[in-house]
Amino acid sequence: MALLTPYSKVPELNTATLLLVENEEQLQSKLANAIVQYEKEFNVNVRLSRKLPLPVENKGTRPRIDLIVFIVNLQSERSVQSVESSLNHLHSDCFLGKVCFLVTDARCGSHTHERLVSIRKLAAVHQCPVLCAEHKTADGVNAAAVRLLSILKVSAGMSPIATTALYLSTLTRCSVTSDDLDEE
Amino acid sequence: MDGRGSTTPASRPVTRRSKSYGRSCLEAPSYFWQTTGHLTVLKVPTSRGAAKSQNITNKVEPEHIALLVKNEWKLSYVTPLHGFRHTQLKLYSKHLSAFIVAEKQQGVAVEVGLELGFKVTFTAVLGMAETEEDAETVFIQIQSKPVFAAAGDSPKVVWRGWLSCVNGDPEYLRSLPPDFVSLPLFCTSGPESLTSLVKSWFERAFDCNFGTLNLNSTTLNWLAALWTGCHPTCNIRYLKLAWSLPTQPPLDISYTVNPQDAWELWSSVHPEESADDGIDIKEVESFMAGLETHFFRHFKIYLSAGKLVKVSTAIGSAHLDGKIKIGNSDYITTLLTLLTECALLKMPT
Repeated sequence: MALLTPYSKVPELNTATLLLVENEEQLQSKLANAIVQYEKEFNVNVRLSRKLPLPVENKGTRPRIDLIVFIVNLQSERSVQSVESSLNHLHSDCFLGKVCFLVTDARCGSHTHERLVSIRKLAAVHQCPVLCAEHKTADGVNAAAVRLLSILKVSAGMSPIATTALYLSTLTRCSVTSDDLDEE
Repeated sequence: MDGRGSTTPASRPVTRRSKSYGRSCLEAPSYFWQTTGHLTVLKVPTSRGAAKSQNITNKVEPEHIALLVKNEWKLSYVTPLHGFRHTQLKLYSKHLSAFIVAEKQQGVAVEVGLELGFKVTFTAVLGMAETEEDAETVFIQIQSKPVFAAAGDSPKVVWRGWLSCVNGDPEYLRSLPPDFVSLPLFCTSGPESLTSLVKSWFERAFDCNFGTLNLNSTTLNWLAALWTGCHPTCNIRYLKLAWSLPTQPPLDISYTVNPQDAWELWSSVHPEESADDGIDIKEVESFMAGLETHFFRHFKIYLSAGKLVKVSTAIGSAHLDGKIKIGNSDYITTLLTLLTECALLKMPT
């Protein structure tokens, strides 16, 4: 099974590549536009996908991916399921700071709270951060873009002081309290 | 601290101001729409007992049951009522009818010809409460004469509502201060104007708060599984699920399952002869997943990408917006237990 590996390719100069994986394809394009248009000192390539594994045909031309963001829409169970199945296609090295979960509609009370808990448990097991984003307004999308850019900067090694992706991930990884664990 | 003026009463808990900016990644997760009470924490249960058929006619008057079974009810939750006494129901009826008449006549300068008399009756439906801590159900009926009625016509019931608490969380109920009565589930049927009048009267009289109780998909899944599990003892006649998919325009799917097939699927997930009578949430989830994969196999549509909007069987039906209908009085206790739990969880404590 072809796994997506983080370090198998050579990075390009002053460029970072971000992969947004979302099953519904709603927030992806808006977020990609916001990220690309934001002012920053380095180039950012944004690649979009519905799920992993990525198509084999592009393997040669695809640059090294610095951060993989899984966008989960908490309104649909399908979104959660597709993220769980996509995680199997990542090499385990990726989880050292190169994967991040972005959750939308977390404040909406109409869906079950258990979905958010299960995403947090998933992220805690893989030691990745969970960001909550608000996708309906332009401000929300811009705020999410800024947060992703700051994590991307570290993951791509562009942060000046010796902050590596691994170091950042130990600080930002999702934690699950014993309350959630008791529900098992 | 004697010798000083009353600056800090010793009983007020010291709260630490915590800055939440920039620390959101490391904060312990908090339930967004559910705050922990100061006295107890209500946990979402992951397993519950199977739906038992209970002939409640020996406990509750049949005419009271008939009142509950007929209509479609809209659900709300109520915070605990302060100073509510089950012995003073007649007094409450008088106050409420006076209040409604006064509100209806507000803004009318001259007494308009025919008097719209409203008669309110509060009845206590005894026997619905399951445990010692549950308060008895109270049923409210508003009757009024239609505007152009003849003199001898009996008044028609224009609005019905009931407050109830069935199998409420005993720790929570015990932790309430002594003057409070908790009847968290409020079901109404009738015009919205009367509902809001009744609610505002209750809010003024008993210092409580109302809010709409929207069911979430977990509750609907539980109901689908529990009602299917009742099939051998009571023929549910059909299991109808209504889904709504977020396409443009939104696609509504109505998925009707033969009760025998649903029962076979359920019994394969939850074996009949398990020693303990409990049903786990995982069994409910695999039951629903089974239904969804079957649908996918035939129509190539992922139901999990949409929302389950309504579950109905012959025993009853429940809608996501908080509307229920009780078809069969034998299983009413299970349904009300589930709804009381939802109301207690949704209530801001």
